[in-house]
Amino acid sequence: MQGKPLIYINGTASISPQRTFDGSFLSEPINYTGNVLTCQTPDFKAYLPAIQLRRLGRMLRVGLTASIICLRNSAITTPDGIITATGYGFLEDTERFLREIIERNESQLTPTHFMQGTYNALAGLVGLSLHCTGYNNTYVSKGYALGSALDDAIIQIQDEPELNMLVGAYDEAVSVQYKSVARDGHFKQEQIDSLKLFEHPTPGSLQGEGAAFFLLSGVQTSQTICRLTGHYGLFQPTADELFNELESFLSAHETTISDLDLWIAGLSGDVNRDQTLRSLADGALSSIPQGRFKHLTGEYCTADGFALWLGANIIKKQSVPASIMASSLKAPNKLRKVLIVNHYLDRNYTFYLLERPRA
Amino acid sequence: MRKGGRVFITGYGIITSIGKNAEENLQSLVNQRHGYGDIDILNTAHSHDLRCCEIKITDEDLRALARAEGNGLTRTSLLGLVALREAVQHAQLTKEELNRSGLLSSTTTGGIREFERDFFNILDLDRRGEFEQFADTAIPGDHSERLAGQVGIHNYVATLSTACSSAANAIMQGAALIRSGRLDCAVCGGSEALSKFTINGFNALMILDNEHCRPFDASRRGLNLGEGAAYLVLESEARVERLKKKPLAILAGTGNANDAYHLTASSPEGTGALKAMRLALSHARIDARDIGYVNAHGTATENNDLSEGTGLKRLFAGELPPFSSTKPYTGHTLAAAGSIEAVYSILALQHGMVWPSLNFMSPIPELEIHPATSLIRNVSIRHVLSNSFGFGGNTSSLLLSAV
Amino acid sequence: MPQTLEELKQELKQELIKQLNLEEVLPPDFNENTPLFGEGLGLDSIDSLELVVLMDRNYGIKLKDPKEGRQIFQSIRTMAEYIHANRPQA
Repeated sequence: MQGKPLIYINGTASISPQRTFDGSFLSEPINYTGNVLTCQTPDFKAYLPAIQLRRLGRMLRVGLTASIICLRNSAITTPDGIITATGYGFLEDTERFLREIIERNESQLTPTHFMQGTYNALAGLVGLSLHCTGYNNTYVSKGYALGSALDDAIIQIQDEPELNMLVGAYDEAVSVQYKSVARDGHFKQEQIDSLKLFEHPTPGSLQGEGAAFFLLSGVQTSQTICRLTGHYGLFQPTADELFNELESFLSAHETTISDLDLWIAGLSGDVNRDQTLRSLADGALSSIPQGRFKHLTGEYCTADGFALWLGANIIKKQSVPASIMASSLKAPNKLRKVLIVNHYLDRNYTFYLLERPRA
Repeated sequence: MRKGGRVFITGYGIITSIGKNAEENLQSLVNQRHGYGDIDILNTAHSHDLRCCEIKITDEDLRALARAEGNGLTRTSLLGLVALREAVQHAQLTKEELNRSGLLSSTTTGGIREFERDFFNILDLDRRGEFEQFADTAIPGDHSERLAGQVGIHNYVATLSTACSSAANAIMQGAALIRSGRLDCAVCGGSEALSKFTINGFNALMILDNEHCRPFDASRRGLNLGEGAAYLVLESEARVERLKKKPLAILAGTGNANDAYHLTASSPEGTGALKAMRLALSHARIDARDIGYVNAHGTATENNDLSEGTGLKRLFAGELPPFSSTKPYTGHTLAAAGSIEAVYSILALQHGMVWPSLNFMSPIPELEIHPATSLIRNVSIRHVLSNSFGFGGNTSSLLLSAV
Repeated sequence: MPQTLEELKQELKQELIKQLNLEEVLPPDFNENTPLFGEGLGLDSIDSLELVVLMDRNYGIKLKDPKEGRQIFQSIRTMAEYIHANRPQA
C-alpha cells in the first residue's frame, strides 16, 4: 500500500427502491409488502432525450440516468473509462427474446430485445451517450461483480492518478430471475413488510434491485465525497476466516476495528445465509455502531453498490440516516472511518473501507 | 505509463470446431480444414439454412473429455473446462499454485442454451426434474465459479462479458492484476456454446451469411457463428524467473477503447479499432512496422471488415503486414474469440507461420487490401497483433511477442 | 374489399408508432412524406431492422437484404406504395 496513489470517490448516484435520487437521504423509508422491491425512479425525461428513451427498457433507463446523475455530481463531462458490473444483467429483455423465439418458432424476430439483453449494453450505451472512446468493460462476477469492476478501475488509477473512471453496478428484480432462483430458496416464502425484514429470522431474503454509479479518481477535488481506502473480496469463508481476513485487511490500511466509527452490514435477512456475517457482527464488530440496508433495497448481486453509495454519503454528510441503524449504539458525531462488510448468498464477501478525506 | 514487470504466457488450452486441443487446432490451420457445416447437435429450426462451426461432440462426451464432476455444468462450462484443463497442464501448474492463482473467464451466453431448452420447466415452479440443475446457470458469472471449483483455483475469480471482445478483455485484466501485484498467476480466456438465442439474435440483426463467410472480400455478406473455448496461463516475470519456466510468448501490449458510434455497428473510420491497436502498440513500445502478422477480428460482416480494414490502413499507413481472419475456420465464437485467436497468434509466433484467410477472392473496393490467402511458412515473426471487437462498441487489441 | 392506399398509410402510421414506441416522439407536422431516417424522425439502423420484420409479419413481404430497406423506408408514403405493389394477394 505504500506509495500507491489514494483513490477518491468524486461523484455518486443511486436509483433504488428508496428515493435515493432526490437528496432526501433515506429520511422517509418506503415499505414493500410483496417481497419484491423495485426502483423509485426520477422523471427520465429530465435526463434523456425522448428519441433515445423510447426504445430503452426500464433498467437501461435507470442505469443510464444514474450514470448521468453521477457525472453531474462529479462535475465531469466525459470520463476516461466506463466500467459496469451486474449479476443478472437485463434478464427481462432476454426472456422476451426467448419467448419470441419459442412462440414464433425461430422466425420473424426483432433484434431490439436481443441487443438490450446483452450484459454490456449499459456500458456501451453510456459510452455512446457520452461519445466516450475511452476504456470500456463489464464484469458479471455475480456477488463480486462490483468488486471486480473496482479492481479494474483502481489498478488503472494507480498507474495514472489523473484518470476519471466511471464505475456502475446494477441488477433488475424481475420475475424470470425470481423463478430461476426460487428452488434454491433465495427468497422468503412468507409475505412480510420489507422494513421489518430483520424481525423475521427465517430462510430467504427479499428480491431487490438498483443502480449505483461512482466517479473514481486519484485526484481530490472540491466534489470529493470520500476516500475509498480499500476493498477486498473473499469466497465462501468460514467465520474464522472472515474475521482473520478482516483484521488483515484493516491492518493493511493502518486501521484496527476500534478505529471504526460505523460499520454497514450486508445482512440479507436470510437466517441461514446470514450466520457467518452474524458471527462477526455479534463478535469482533459488536462494539461498533452497526447499520444495515437490505430492508431498504432487497437482495441482489450488486447490492454492495448501494452500500458503497450509502457509506460514501454518510461520510460526506457526516450524518447517519436513522432508517439504517441496527444497534442501540449511536454513531459518533465525527465519522472518519466507515467499514462495509457485505455478502451475497454466503458465497461472495466484500470489505470496503471508506475514510473522510483530508481537508 | 503502466507499471509492473512483464507478463508471460506459460500455457494455453483450446477447443474449437477444428480441434479439441492445441495440436489438433494447429494441424487444421496448417491443412486449411475448417469446421463449417450443418448444425447436428443443437436442436434448431435453422440446422440447414444457417450453418455454423459446431463442435461435433455431445455434452455427454464433453463431460468425459473434461473429466467433469457433478451437476449443473452447461455446455459453455464443459467446453471451458476442456480448454482450462489443457491450459493448466500445459503450464504445469501444481495444485498449490492453482489454489493461489486467479481465473478470469468470459462468455456472452453462459447457460442460455440450457435455459432456452428447459424454459417452460424452469419457469413453472411446480415442475421438478433433471432440468433443475440448469435453473440458475444461465448467467455468465455461473460458469467461472464452477470452472474454478473444478480445477481448484481459489484466490481470485472474475467473469467478464463485453460481447465479442470478452476474452481479450479477460486476458487484459489478468495481466493488469499480475502487474499490480494482486496475482502472480492468472488463467484467462472465455467460452461459448452455440444456442438458438444467439443464432436467432444475429439473424434478427441480419448479419449472418447463409454460406461460408468471406472476410475482407468485396462480396462478403455476414458472419458464421461458432462455438469453443480457450485459456492462456499468464505469469509474472518474477515468477517465471524464480521457477525457471520456459515462457511461450510475452503479452507485450494491450489496448481497450470504445468506438462510441452505435450499439451494434462500428464506425466507418474504424475509430475504436485504431485506438485499441494504437494503445496496444504504445503499451508494448513497439512500432507498427515491427508487427509481423495481424490476426484480424474479420467477422466478414460488411460493417466490421470495412471499419477494421480502414483502421488497419490508417495504423499501418497503407503498408499492411500479412493479416488474416481465422473465423472461416472456427466461425465467430463470440466471447471466446479473443482467447481462441490469441492462441492462434501464439501458434503463429511459435511456428513462424501466417494462417490464410479462407474464401477471399477480391478486395473491398474502398480499401484494396489483401489478406494472406495461402499458408505462409518459415517467416520470422516477432510481434503479432490480435483484434477483437464487439457489440457495445467494445474494441480490444492484444500484442503478443516472441520470447 | 382490398385495402386502399390511403387506408394502408393510416394503418402503417399506427403500426410504426406502436412497434417503434414513437408516441412521444412524433413531431406535430409529421405526415406521410416526413423522412423517417436521418433528418426528420431520426430513426436508426435498428429501427430499420424492426421495419423489415414488420413488413414480413404484417404484410408477408420478405426483404433479404437490409440495404433494400433504405429506399422503401424513406417515408410512410414510400412504404405504403411498396407494400401496396408487392404484398402477396390474399
